[in-house]
Amino acid sequence: MFIKKMYCISPQNTYNNEIFEEGTEIHTESQFWAKEPRYKSMVPLNLLRRMSKSVRMGVGTAMPLINEFDDIEGVIIGSANGSIKKSISFLNQIVEYNEGTLTPTDFVQSTSNSIAGTLALMGKITGYNNTHVNNGIAFESALLDALLLFDEGQVKRLIIGGVEEISQANYNIDVLRGMFKKETVSSDNLLSSGTEGTVSGEGAAMFVVDACKSNDSIAEIVDVDQICFPDKNEIVDKIRSFLDRNNLVPDDIDALFLGYNGDARTDFYYDYIQKQIFQQQSVFVYKNLVADFYTVSSFAVWLAANLFSGKSLPEETMIKKSGKKINKILIYNHYEGTQHGFILMSAP
Amino acid sequence: MKRAFITGMGVISSIGSNVDENRKNLINGKSGIAKASFMKSRYVDVFPFGEVSFSTEELMKIAGIEGEKGITRTDILATLAFQEACKSANLSKDDISAADTAFLSASTVGGMSMTDELYRDGNKMGSPSDYLSSYICGAHTLKLVKRYKMKGISTTFNTACSSSANSIMLGAKLIKSGRVKRAIVGGAEGLAKFTVNGFNALRILSPFPCTPFDKDRSGLTLGEGAAYLILEPEELAANKFIFGEVKGYGNTNDAFHPSSISDDASGIVASISQALVSAGLNSEQIDFINAHGTGTENNDYSELFGISETFQKIPPFQSTKSYTGHTLAASGSIEAVFSLLSMKYGELYKSLNFTNPIKEFNLSPISEYSTDCNVKNVLSNSFGFGGNCSSLIFSKV
Repeated sequence: MFIKKMYCISPQNTYNNEIFEEGTEIHTESQFWAKEPRYKSMVPLNLLRRMSKSVRMGVGTAMPLINEFDDIEGVIIGSANGSIKKSISFLNQIVEYNEGTLTPTDFVQSTSNSIAGTLALMGKITGYNNTHVNNGIAFESALLDALLLFDEGQVKRLIIGGVEEISQANYNIDVLRGMFKKETVSSDNLLSSGTEGTVSGEGAAMFVVDACKSNDSIAEIVDVDQICFPDKNEIVDKIRSFLDRNNLVPDDIDALFLGYNGDARTDFYYDYIQKQIFQQQSVFVYKNLVADFYTVSSFAVWLAANLFSGKSLPEETMIKKSGKKINKILIYNHYEGTQHGFILMSAP
Repeated sequence: MKRAFITGMGVISSIGSNVDENRKNLINGKSGIAKASFMKSRYVDVFPFGEVSFSTEELMKIAGIEGEKGITRTDILATLAFQEACKSANLSKDDISAADTAFLSASTVGGMSMTDELYRDGNKMGSPSDYLSSYICGAHTLKLVKRYKMKGISTTFNTACSSSANSIMLGAKLIKSGRVKRAIVGGAEGLAKFTVNGFNALRILSPFPCTPFDKDRSGLTLGEGAAYLILEPEELAANKFIFGEVKGYGNTNDAFHPSSISDDASGIVASISQALVSAGLNSEQIDFINAHGTGTENNDYSELFGISETFQKIPPFQSTKSYTGHTLAASGSIEAVFSLLSMKYGELYKSLNFTNPIKEFNLSPISEYSTDCNVKNVLSNSFGFGGNCSSLIFSKV
């Protein structure tokens, strides 16, 4: 499938592509918050006030696309936590008011499908509508869903995306789980910190994708795969079989986009595949820009598609340069070392 | 194009801990809706529930994982249905863990079924509980993936009450496209204070056991449970009992309201029509409809409207939610199991608690258990918040 146009909200200035002109912003906070656009022109204020952050970011990235392309036939979203802040707010009310009389607004918005549902409602998109919530591979699953839908030949154009918001309660729980660094770390040395844990981020990336290539396609998403709880050799085997399925060998890949997050416990997977099968490729990273979240691979796709469209990526994203022209990109991202996703992209 | 055959199934609900128990109660018209004994909520004195009649600890013992930490109600229901489904299709450990076996699950509440624990952990009160990695919606899926060392594709859907219908749909596509050789598909939902209070806030919980399609229906009854189907293509299904085939499916959005369906049921009409087209069937070929039939004012009206629009002659229909309560994300797969039982045994189960038809339609659900029915094609509907509508068609092979 082919990306036609996209929008991204992230902890960097990505919404209007400022990042490619002005460079990146250094973050030193314990959570990298998304830089949101002014939504006022897109959403009536009374509606906006009631929206959760993830619905808002979903609307902010998708509505300009839905308004521009009136033939979008379906919506597929990956969002592990959905409107988690609304869920927690409703849950807090249940406990604090001892199951008293509550208003249902937060409950209705709390389900993860409220993003895709809102887009269908606002954009009057009555076709296929689905939401994947499978933690660190929720976006990869959404891509698979879209590929299968296009394979059936019934639809030609979809909107797909990954959305995640930070909530204080989930942040607290993830702190207790040991997900995050205990020390303060600046985004520019996150990846070289050498300590355990990473930093929490959030964002939304939304794509109009077509079944067929057109003159203004900017990138192709060729295929997607995943594996859970692998050892490092299983990762290498998985990548080989994934490429083989697409009639490729590792040397056919020109660049890797790797999900290094600075966690000394789990970054070794990324080192290992470079050592074993990818020695010649350019290597890009992205979590030093936006930190880590369940659907962060959607940000990597956005970045890779920008590279294909001719933009110069910020220098902090490139950690290894090869002379090869970049036609084929493999995005490899894992979450906590448990769920590993692979996205194969190609110049259109 | 390959075909997606159902070679195994497992279910747990308030009418039984396995397929046989569920069927027995369906035959006898015995509902599982009663006063809840295990869920802790002040509403157990106000509303009846379709609660599985064992404690989480007892269920863990049955599943052979007693003493394990961090197991939620959703987790254990998923585990039991998963185990039965795999056994029923004679899947070996290697079959389950194979890279070409997919596992697609669904839940809405997930581990938030541990409402009080999540409250304390999320607000940093007291020492951390055992459930830190259990709350997120996809946790039950990931735990089964880990337990059974599954190396294939996995996902978790949350499209509210249509979630597990989407697991079945995607599983069928994965089989048909040849991407996988096996798919374990379904969903799980534990009863929780969270959902009880949510539906109570929406004022759609019935003070009596739900009465689907009745003129005087007063809302839905919440239930819990889980079900999984094993899907396999012809070559793997050859020597196995085949319960049926996932013949058609439709997925649409009603695009009308965040928590209710439009009166003209456009999403429902479209999902049923899509399912018929993809199955290559016309509406007269549907022998039976397992309706979504929640018992709410809105759903039952819109669903009958949608069915009336798509069928000239309306086939026998009923809602097994009158037995199990509304099991939310699990309902699509639980009702798939019931639909396949109807097909296997040629029997139709009656809809419970029905007295008078809704006047605009004058349609009554099945009122008596009957055998010797030739059930060749079944339509099963699932609709959810967010406008999500899914319809599945199961056919006899």
